Amino acid sequence: MASEVSEVVRVDGVVKDFRPGFGLRVKRVLHGISFDVKRGEIFGFVGPNGAGKTTTLKILMGLIRASDGRAEILGSDVRETDFRKHVGFLPENPYFYDFLTGREILRFYAKLSGVPAASREARVETLLEWVGLADAADARLRTYSKGMLQRTGIAQALVHDPDVIFLDEPMSGLDPIGRMEIRNLILRLRGEGKTVFMNTHILSDVEMLCDRVAVIVHGRIRYEGRIESLASEDGRMSELVVAGIAPDIAQRVEEEMQGELRGHGERIAIRIREKDVGDALQLVLSSGADVLSVTPERAKLEDIFMTAVEADQRDAAGDGAATETGGEAVR
Amino acid sequence: MIFVRIWTLAQNTVREAIRNRLLYTLLFFAIALIGTGVLVSTLSYVESDRILQDVGLAAIRLMSVGIAIFVGVGLIHGEVERRTIYTILSKPVSRVEFLLGKYIGLVLTTWMMLGVMGVAFACVSLATGAPLDSGHLACFFLIGMELVVMVATATLFSAFTTPMLASLFTVGVYLLGHLSRDLRLLGEQSDAGAIKPVVSFLFEVLPDLESFNVTIAAVHQLPIPTGEVLWATAYGLGYATLLLFLASYLFARRDFR
Amino acid sequence: MHILGGIVARRLGIAVILIAVVVLTTAAHRRLPSAVRTQQGDDYVPQPQFAKAMSLGFDAVHADYYWVQAVLLAGESENPQAESKHLGRLIDVVTTLDPWVEHPYRFAAVWLIDSLDDVRHANMLLRRSFDYHPDEWRNRFYLGFNLFYYLEDNAAAADALEEATGMTGAPTYLSRLVARLRSESSSLAAAGLFLEELVRTTEDEAAKADYQSALDEVQIEWRARQLDEARENYEKLHGRDIEFVEELVLGNQAVLSALPDAEPSSVPASLRRGSKWLLDDETGAIVSSYYNRRYELHIDEHDPSRNRVVSERKREAPENQGEDSDGV
Repeated sequence: MASEVSEVVRVDGVVKDFRPGFGLRVKRVLHGISFDVKRGEIFGFVGPNGAGKTTTLKILMGLIRASDGRAEILGSDVRETDFRKHVGFLPENPYFYDFLTGREILRFYAKLSGVPAASREARVETLLEWVGLADAADARLRTYSKGMLQRTGIAQALVHDPDVIFLDEPMSGLDPIGRMEIRNLILRLRGEGKTVFMNTHILSDVEMLCDRVAVIVHGRIRYEGRIESLASEDGRMSELVVAGIAPDIAQRVEEEMQGELRGHGERIAIRIREKDVGDALQLVLSSGADVLSVTPERAKLEDIFMTAVEADQRDAAGDGAATETGGEAVR
Repeated sequence: MIFVRIWTLAQNTVREAIRNRLLYTLLFFAIALIGTGVLVSTLSYVESDRILQDVGLAAIRLMSVGIAIFVGVGLIHGEVERRTIYTILSKPVSRVEFLLGKYIGLVLTTWMMLGVMGVAFACVSLATGAPLDSGHLACFFLIGMELVVMVATATLFSAFTTPMLASLFTVGVYLLGHLSRDLRLLGEQSDAGAIKPVVSFLFEVLPDLESFNVTIAAVHQLPIPTGEVLWATAYGLGYATLLLFLASYLFARRDFR
Repeated sequence: MHILGGIVARRLGIAVILIAVVVLTTAAHRRLPSAVRTQQGDDYVPQPQFAKAMSLGFDAVHADYYWVQAVLLAGESENPQAESKHLGRLIDVVTTLDPWVEHPYRFAAVWLIDSLDDVRHANMLLRRSFDYHPDEWRNRFYLGFNLFYYLEDNAAAADALEEATGMTGAPTYLSRLVARLRSESSSLAAAGLFLEELVRTTEDEAAKADYQSALDEVQIEWRARQLDEARENYEKLHGRDIEFVEELVLGNQAVLSALPDAEPSSVPASLRRGSKWLLDDETGAIVSSYYNRRYELHIDEHDPSRNRVVSERKREAPENQGEDSDGV
């Protein structure tokens, strides 16, 4: 049974070539990417625009055929269709038959997903309630706002109670309240034991939600790993904000602990390595200055991201000979 | 299960058509055209019943094939363009099922339109006292079979090209399909040796749409042999099946970028 | 005020330009020939086979189009016979596109009489109809009439009519007509029977009137011949010719009980002129003052198209006249 497999998604050496126009010229957009998504995790697939995120997701959804390599969901090749009754998909800026009402479209997707007739109506009603479209259920989708369409998209992705849910840029084009709703929804899905695969370029969302990420740049995976693991790495920094610090103390912090000082006058922000925070606090407090705040700096995904992009640029400069296929963290 | 999915897609295609205002405009236009038969028939002092029905049947054939072509060519392309196909194919729906569902839905739609136009035709005929009999029924049935082939042609082209090109190709097939018997005759009368095999090849490959055209027989109340109707049905269904096979083959290999 | 005036002036200017364009466009359109192409002459009528290929299955309605064109052409023409060639091409297209049409074949027979070629064309079209209307006696009747009246081929005419006898709806006297044609003597009777039938069956009003006036002349001629017979009897009886026609019914040795009507039976009471039977000043023959001349079937001054056709045919084949039947 597919649901016994611990890797819910397996992508192994997937290559995608496109032929722009009719010529023989081939443009390679995925250079043999590999990654896994484990059961019950929220997986962030991150990369700048044009990196190949959507292409990868479309291969997983069977909308595009891989030129080489293998992609599996729940142990089935993505070219098959039967396993899709356990899969939900929310495309970016989803668009549906606008001649149908909210209720009709959910019924339509429920039928296609094989939801038994006996439980279909109840399921549709539950989801309408759940995404807050119960009042608009009998209005045509033509009249829906962007946010309502997004919620319709979520409802159709969940109508058959899937085990894995794929989301393509789920926050794009939403207002802050909409984004919060989606975040809550994703967390709720994890609470129910679902696996969530999320394509995004909004890093704060990933930091807030994802258990693991893969970073893709120019069709190559540049990082795959847990977000928390980044936190335990050496070199994590903290920021101290102090008031009334004597210049000589400040100089000692700067010299002995390689602290970076910003600001002047009464309040000064000091950025130092986390392991030095204890010593620094002692020094500052003993000098009679006030400590206003201590903030541990989380490793920003942005840093990983930027490192990956820089690595890619180096590769490109170095003839791109390095074609590491989905290894661990770059560098 | 597979039939439930195909049927769901077909139903939805019909619903889309029913809720499309353009279709009602076309239908209104068709019925108006059937009505103009009354006007045209007054220009002749004899055989006005015949002219009335000639014009009516021509209008029905033209409009129904027009609907088949111009709705059919956008059938697949529209789904890709508007990305509605993304969510559908993410469900346990194969591409062949999708194609068949859309196809069957459009055939049913054109048949419904044919039915409405048929009723309008019958009303005009009854009102003017023009004769109606089983020949007209056979004529409408065969128009329906022609639609089976034309919708399959439009679906085939729609599966791999843009609506603009697909409509050009489909209209081309329609014209050549009605010309193919003349082409063959031309080939047989031609002295150039190379022409004959080319023309007879074309005759075999192109749909022989004149097989579905018994309008003259219906209007003149000539006998229409049941065998001919049955063979035409078999020919139409077989031809459409081949077209759909080809369409599925091409469609299954497409990337939706 | 100045600005307002500018706006008004500009709007006026635009209006003037628009009106000028409308006038120009309309004027240009007026100068173009407005007749439907197929009405402009027979060169605009396509070859029948080409028209058939081009109709792409819409043969029936295409046929109707050319049929309506033919009807309009005949209806609007002062002298439809003069349009014979044009009409013939139109009907050829009509009957190629939809050979099961009924009336157009007889329409062709009625109007295609301007030249020998036209009559032959009409006969070709009539023969085409036999395949599609094997039981239609009228088409054979029209063919028989053409053969008899224009081509003076009584034998061929008799053959055509013989096929028609016994078909549903065929009048019983057809066999009598066949016999008359075979005997070659009673052309007048044959003409009368033909014309009677044509008057009875022709749907086209103008053609019907033509046939009726021809029939009227035949009727008067028929009566004049009866009077000729009576005149001979009178001469035998009295040893002298009559001095005036009424002598035939005068006295106790009258050869006739009453003179026949000197006007055709079809003339309604309101149009009667009180015509009498007279002796023609020049020829001395009995004539009705209605026509003031005798009818001669084969030299009919009042049917110029027939005369033309007949003389054309005689010029063409003086040695074997009467055998012509298969025009193409």
